[in-house]
Amino acid sequence: MLKNMPKSLKICLKVLGVLLGLFTGTFLIYIFNLDMKLTAKIEPLLLKHYDRIPRDRHL
Amino acid sequence: MAKEVGKDKFGSFYVAGSKVRNRREWRGVKDTLYDYSRWLKIMMTLGKFVAKPRNVKAMLRYRWMANYLAVPMMVDRHTQGLRGEYLRMCHTEQDLIIDDVAKLLDNLFRGDRRTGNDTEFSKKVVLVDENEMTAVMMGFPMLKCLSRETPSTYVSVLLNQHAMEHYIDVAQEFGLAGDVCPMPEAEAGVSIDDDAPVLGACAIQCNTTCDGSLLGNGVISKRLEGEDGIPVFQLAAPLRHREDDVQEYAAQEIRNAIAFIEEHTGAKWDWKEYFECAKRVNYATRCRQEWLDMNRTEYPQVFGSNLALYTETNYMAICGRVADFEKADRKLTKLAEQAYKKKMRAAKEYRHRAIVWGVQSHFYMDFLVWLLNCWGIVPLTDMLSMVSTKPIAEEDTPENREQAYYDMAWLTENMIMRNRTHGGYKVLLDELWEFTEQFNADMVILWEHICCKALDGMHGMFEDRARELGINLVWVQHDLFDPRIISRQGVRDQINLYMRTVMREEPIDPSLEVLPDEESW
Repeated sequence: MLKNMPKSLKICLKVLGVLLGLFTGTFLIYIFNLDMKLTAKIEPLLLKHYDRIPRDRHL
Repeated sequence: MAKEVGKDKFGSFYVAGSKVRNRREWRGVKDTLYDYSRWLKIMMTLGKFVAKPRNVKAMLRYRWMANYLAVPMMVDRHTQGLRGEYLRMCHTEQDLIIDDVAKLLDNLFRGDRRTGNDTEFSKKVVLVDENEMTAVMMGFPMLKCLSRETPSTYVSVLLNQHAMEHYIDVAQEFGLAGDVCPMPEAEAGVSIDDDAPVLGACAIQCNTTCDGSLLGNGVISKRLEGEDGIPVFQLAAPLRHREDDVQEYAAQEIRNAIAFIEEHTGAKWDWKEYFECAKRVNYATRCRQEWLDMNRTEYPQVFGSNLALYTETNYMAICGRVADFEKADRKLTKLAEQAYKKKMRAAKEYRHRAIVWGVQSHFYMDFLVWLLNCWGIVPLTDMLSMVSTKPIAEEDTPENREQAYYDMAWLTENMIMRNRTHGGYKVLLDELWEFTEQFNADMVILWEHICCKALDGMHGMFEDRARELGINLVWVQHDLFDPRIISRQGVRDQINLYMRTVMREEPIDPSLEVLPDEESW
């Protein structure tokens, strides 16, 4: 059936598929708060890094 | 997962020992997709920000930048339980503030000697305090008015309750007293810790809002002037701001500050731009008054953190200088009017009408959302939102050019917080009871910032007057920037105890009464 489809329709379906995939992926990240769960793991690494920076600490 | 407001048990979103919540809220298809679209926009704003190498460099240099990992969570905290127009109002404000802070950070790092080091740009930068009206910059469109303290301390602690503990400790390690306000103490700590961007042609510091603020400014200006070669002007606005006899002095301070900026930047004051900004200040005032008028009725619309956070930003940090905020004012008013016509309510049940007074805990700004969802207490307005409503001169005439100095002085004197914590007991005490009457409030939630000398002295006078008027007065102690002294649960417990023992009430959402958010951002 796909073989007989006009090329433009195939492209449209592909674009739609990609958009749907992007939407599903980002929506899952959003609803399960995966973005924040990831950044919560990054924070301790950054704090360790800041502790190692030489600083001119004084009043 | 529920579309209907109040069906969800919000306490179930919290995970003990975790920085973040287990999931985001389902608000029905339409509102969830709207919230998702705004989340995408925030992610794009953050993505654009980190696409610049100098911003990545700054992220790896400045400890306080780690707090910006929590931006989407801050929005989630303030949108908890919101639907329809309320959700849209919150996003209109929060998204604009995020955008504005991202631009501020981008500009700071552009001029910063350690990261972007754009020296030509830096020559156009005037540094201002976080706690300072930016009225003196209304006539300098060719200059950049940037605050280092806003993103390093003020916004950071809104994002992450623990953000300032390191800097408070640094300040105290160097001998600064532990019982001053932790806000200026943390600002001083950032400077001592060599963690403030270095840029600018000059800086304007203001004696707002208290002795602690003066202490912090002294430490910061010593480094700015002595080491970084950035001259600092001390704008000393009168504390007794309601007295007529201080106004000429206050206006002269404004003239002096403008002359100082002109001298160090080579820029010339632009009256046309000033009066354009003045028009926007007046428009923002009219909008705020309309929202407050609605909040006097049975159907308050722009209230709680929707009112508090936006007013702080728009009134003080923006002060008419950014046209986008005028658009936001218009949109917010339209949304509020729509919701008012529909007689909408933001929560399942409204039990008490409250005025929130005193200086709120910045590590728990979403406490106002909690009050509504847990106990049905509607925070109609708060002390920091009850700022000047006096229109300023907005037509460019010779008389108004003279008046403008007095208007800028008036705004500076009436900066958020200082307009109530200084100026005599009338502005702090008497007007509170006038507001409770005007807003038909039966409750006052009184923040007691335990390190604020300006407020603590009046404890007994508040209690006496509340007793006379039959108002339920609930004290809520906190230490502004430091949740190690009184935790978020410590804050909630004070309300829980009052509501259960004095009011003999049960919470609307019992899952919110005790939350495991000690480790949370």
